[in-house]
Amino acid sequence: MAKVSNGSSSSSGDGGTSDNIRLAEVGQSLFLKALVVGVVALGVSAFLGSSENDNWNRFSHSYLVAFVWVMTIGAGAVWWITIQNIVNSHWSLVIRRIGELIASNAPVLAVLAFPVVIPLILGKSPMYIWSDVNNMLGREELKHKIPYLNPHFFAIRFVVYFGYWTLLSYFFLNRSLGQDKQQGNDAAKTVVTMRRVAGPAMIVFALTLTFCAIDLIMTLDPRWFSTIFGVYYFASCVMAINSSLALTLMWLQSKGRLTSSVTVHHFHDLGKMVFAFTVFWAYIGFSQFMLLWYANIPEETLWFKERFANSWGTLSWTLLFGHFVIPFFGLLSRWVKRNRKALAFWCIWQLVMIYLDMYWLVMPTLGVDQVPFQLIDLTCWVGVLSLFIAGVAWRAKGLNLLATNDPRLPKSLAFENI
Amino acid sequence: MSDEHKKHSVKSSPPPVHGLLAEYDTPPQILHAAKQIRAAGITKWDTYTPFAVHGIDDAMGIKMTILPWFTLGAGLTGLASAILLQWWTNAHDYAWIISGKPFWSIPANVPIMFELTVLLSAITTLVGMLILNNLPEPSHPLDQVRRFARVTDDKFFLLIRASDPKFDDVETRALLATTHPVAVEAVLEDRVTPERMPTGLVYGLIIFAVASVVPFALAAKARYTKSSSPRIHLIQDMDSQPKYKAQRENSFFADGRAARPAIEGTVAAGDARDDDHFYQGKDGPGWARTFPSEVALNEATMDRGRQRFGIYCTPCHGQIGQGDGMVSRRAESLQQGTWVAPTNMTLEYVRQQPVGQLFGTISNGIRSMPAYAPQIKTEDRWAIVMYVRALQRSRSGSVGDLPPDARASLK
Amino acid sequence: MAISDVNPFEAPPAGDNMFARITDNVTRIAETATPPRAWYIAFGFAQLLLLMFLGSLGYVIWNGIGAWGNMMPVAWGFPIVNFVFWIGIGHAGTLISAVLFLFRQNWRTAINRFAEAMTIFAVVCAGIFPGMHIGRPWLPYYMFPIPNQMDMWPQFRSPLEWDVFAVSTYATVSILFWYMGMIPDFATFRDRATTTVRRVAYGIVAMGWRGSSRQWHVYERAYLILAALATPLVLSVHSVVSFDFATAQLPGWHTTIFPPYFVAGAIFGGFAMVVTLAVPARQFFGLKRIITIRHLELMNKVIMATGLIVGYAYGMEFFVAWYSGNKYEVFTFVNRAFGPYGWAYWTMISCNVLFPQLHWFPQVRRNPWATLIIGLIVNVGMWFERFVIICTSLSRDFLPSSWGYFVPTPVDLMTLGGSFGLFFTLFLLFCRYLPMVAMSEVKAFSPAGLAHGDH
Repeated sequence: MAKVSNGSSSSSGDGGTSDNIRLAEVGQSLFLKALVVGVVALGVSAFLGSSENDNWNRFSHSYLVAFVWVMTIGAGAVWWITIQNIVNSHWSLVIRRIGELIASNAPVLAVLAFPVVIPLILGKSPMYIWSDVNNMLGREELKHKIPYLNPHFFAIRFVVYFGYWTLLSYFFLNRSLGQDKQQGNDAAKTVVTMRRVAGPAMIVFALTLTFCAIDLIMTLDPRWFSTIFGVYYFASCVMAINSSLALTLMWLQSKGRLTSSVTVHHFHDLGKMVFAFTVFWAYIGFSQFMLLWYANIPEETLWFKERFANSWGTLSWTLLFGHFVIPFFGLLSRWVKRNRKALAFWCIWQLVMIYLDMYWLVMPTLGVDQVPFQLIDLTCWVGVLSLFIAGVAWRAKGLNLLATNDPRLPKSLAFENI
Repeated sequence: MSDEHKKHSVKSSPPPVHGLLAEYDTPPQILHAAKQIRAAGITKWDTYTPFAVHGIDDAMGIKMTILPWFTLGAGLTGLASAILLQWWTNAHDYAWIISGKPFWSIPANVPIMFELTVLLSAITTLVGMLILNNLPEPSHPLDQVRRFARVTDDKFFLLIRASDPKFDDVETRALLATTHPVAVEAVLEDRVTPERMPTGLVYGLIIFAVASVVPFALAAKARYTKSSSPRIHLIQDMDSQPKYKAQRENSFFADGRAARPAIEGTVAAGDARDDDHFYQGKDGPGWARTFPSEVALNEATMDRGRQRFGIYCTPCHGQIGQGDGMVSRRAESLQQGTWVAPTNMTLEYVRQQPVGQLFGTISNGIRSMPAYAPQIKTEDRWAIVMYVRALQRSRSGSVGDLPPDARASLK
Repeated sequence: MAISDVNPFEAPPAGDNMFARITDNVTRIAETATPPRAWYIAFGFAQLLLLMFLGSLGYVIWNGIGAWGNMMPVAWGFPIVNFVFWIGIGHAGTLISAVLFLFRQNWRTAINRFAEAMTIFAVVCAGIFPGMHIGRPWLPYYMFPIPNQMDMWPQFRSPLEWDVFAVSTYATVSILFWYMGMIPDFATFRDRATTTVRRVAYGIVAMGWRGSSRQWHVYERAYLILAALATPLVLSVHSVVSFDFATAQLPGWHTTIFPPYFVAGAIFGGFAMVVTLAVPARQFFGLKRIITIRHLELMNKVIMATGLIVGYAYGMEFFVAWYSGNKYEVFTFVNRAFGPYGWAYWTMISCNVLFPQLHWFPQVRRNPWATLIIGLIVNVGMWFERFVIICTSLSRDFLPSSWGYFVPTPVDLMTLGGSFGLFFTLFLLFCRYLPMVAMSEVKAFSPAGLAHGDH
């Protein structure tokens, strides 16, 4: 909790700040640019995918990597705003609205999932073998999973996951926007309402995120299983949203928005979170790997065996060093977390590493010996990310970027980090 | 303390001034004062507070400590020593296969790498903090000031030392007065506390330090010298085992024996050894003169026999069976007169014994030679017999026995 | 000294300013000649339990661990259940000190000191069980890499060896952290001492601390670093304990969620123990001004949150046991809930998952006595969690012909009960002679300590 302070120099009379807190035309132009880039990139991806003549298998894999990567940010944002409300955090208040805007992009996220999910539900997915029940019936080791791994039940689950994230993020955004028009006691009551909802909401969120990660990624190899898988994906979500928030704020400030509200102290905390979850990711990843390696049970180790064969092994080692060892030392120092350029570098670095991690999770099902980096991976990634950004920009352009009337705002503005 | 101080000042001139101490009531006051003193260009000064006052570092211009670098260095040292320790012990010095893991199993070594990294870092952080803070510091001139005792309770103090180049009793007092202290007091140098430790304590510490080396020296001596007495065995855990061994008494059973004989008229599964030739070396009432049909007379059996002979027989009978094994030679060098020398099995009378008799001797023992049937499998005993026959043949051969090409190489 | 009927700590603390009142509120517990009657009753009871503990351990050493009920197939039995239970309790202290420090949860200052003490005493209790369970407790040096006459080295690929390092590192670092935090408070005790013995004793442990700001600067940095080191250490200890189980191939043990699940469970149980001790402590030692209802409420929220994480892990284990299609896994989990140990399983579920949900109601989580009762229930539940993991999995594994059923002997129960005697004895001595609350930290975060003047 931040220190008590009797207001701050940046507070203006109407409870807001002297900052520019509207995206306005910048948001409009970002929306248009991102939309165009996204559509073009996905068009190119579709062309590249169709020219493979493999029933869209290559395209689906590349697209899924890009999608689950963007989902770490989108779902991470839903988690982020929920946890900030649960713990009644003061420092993050100046960032909260950005989190809410990213989180409430959940419906766009759902639509972005369609290229992967629709074929799955129609029973024609080239990569999820369980999308066709006949594939499962013939395999003794998979037969019993049909009650869970079938397109109909998955369709219901898909609606639940994304429907729930949409509802939850809309609830937070709407309450928060409503608070901007409230004063004093009413604004304080909104804080309490949001906190009350956040607690139980987190329980459901934990389950939706876990099963969404299991459904979209773990079932690519329906033989393999790991109880920690949801937590593993969650670690990436937290790292992704904190990195994305830091980068978003830097971009906003470069456009002259929120320049005095968000200070080096807030960046420092975001940096600490990225650092903490760098370690957490390594902890979870190591726990999963070491336990399976040690027990050495064939049905479990085959998943890792694929990921250590040929150049996949290089990718695994890249993750160990690039996702943990190097950024650990990179982010260790206080100076880095308080230096804008250094922090930006490591946030981008970690986002790239999360992409490689997702690639490492998804791509081996393609069944090729070598890591198959191709242009289509890049175009899918650019396309999905751009459309996601377009969604956020479109929503954000007319709204306040700061929760102006939250009673805790002065504390957050005056927040000092050590 | 002040009583002693009075006593001391009676017998000599008053001690020199250590510095001027100002007292404050609240954190804002001390912060304010610290800023003023720093602005006045004073360099040898400090503030004393009951807790870490927020912002005092900036107010006093305290530079960031180098402690984190100590920690980093210790952490890397801990990591490196954990890797080295585990590699040396498990992969190099005492390589031992455990649960099918490679000798050097990095994933299995990670937990200890982590623990030692943290352990060394933490210890170094605490020790480094003490060293950088010049702790323990048993005595300080401030201890003579009675009001200073409340520094650990509720009061805030600022001390300007007399060693500061700008120190002047009057001017510094005036400077302190501008900071609105509750009180200002001169602190005198401490002449009561001896500058050096008492001689007795110093000698005591030296003796203790020397004495503390003795156990390590004894341990080192025991490690690198030989001793004929068995090692000290405080807890006789494996020596006395509450169990009955074969051939011992046990009053529980009517026959008084600990070992339970097989029930009359029964044979345990797999124990029906009714082939006398193979199991006893007998052919009717006498020793068998031929190898039983179960033993293949080929080179593989011969190799097996040589290997088993090397393991079980050579300690006494020697490499070529002449009764000059290491055990025998050692026993004879002791000249205790109780040793029955092992037979030279290349002698004529042994050569004349049928193979069945050799087999019987190995199986049942003779004179002081124990029975080897419990230790060596039946087929292996026959293989040894075969090898013994080969040894005997080799000791009585002539040049004529060699094939012509080998004969040529002897010349 | 006479035992007083009136609680000497009920009176408002003396002092003309907030800092002095905080000092008085804390130091008078250690400075009084007559602690409250409740302390004597509790201490006497703890002594009886401690006697029982020492007696049962002596019996086990003399007769061998056959005196306990460990018997194939449940070779781990009570000793390891108790070990994991106590080591779990020992997580809250360092978590409160380190993790909440990093999260800037300043309310922790009221409770961190005695939570840390509790941690260390719990680790002491924990260490005794595997130390005895090795069968020859006089040969503990076999576990450490000491050059020896056998020319052998410990086996570093074994999770049990990792445990040796994890637990001893944790104990060492916790003690360092605890001790370093107490240095300024020892100085307070030293400066208030009225007898030579107290002045010398506290003077030695205070190391000549005089509150210099230049020293505070290094001290605070060291505290921050130790907190940053202790945070992953807390996570690692119970993770390593979980590796003891999860590296095996035994159904019900081999599951990848064990490390974070064990950590969450440890925090859950540790916080439950903290509130169990905090409620009587604040009652009897007049610490209600420092450990307020708000502190209890926040701790109850942590209990509820970690309880839900534990519930999540129970659920994931069940789901993946079914999803994996491994018949042994499926059997193990069905057997847990509906087999001969079903009673233990449902005790665990109700204590750990159901009862903590009462804390959703503000009236419950703000009530000290409800807090105490739920804290006790969670402690029982967490003990049963370890019992369920160890006994159900071991008693019925792959071969039905080697199944068994674990029954504790009276010695088992005496050792378990007696370990509480050791724990409470140490804790009560701590309350009596050491600074029970981190005075310097509480002062720093009191309104007067946060005032900045012209800032």
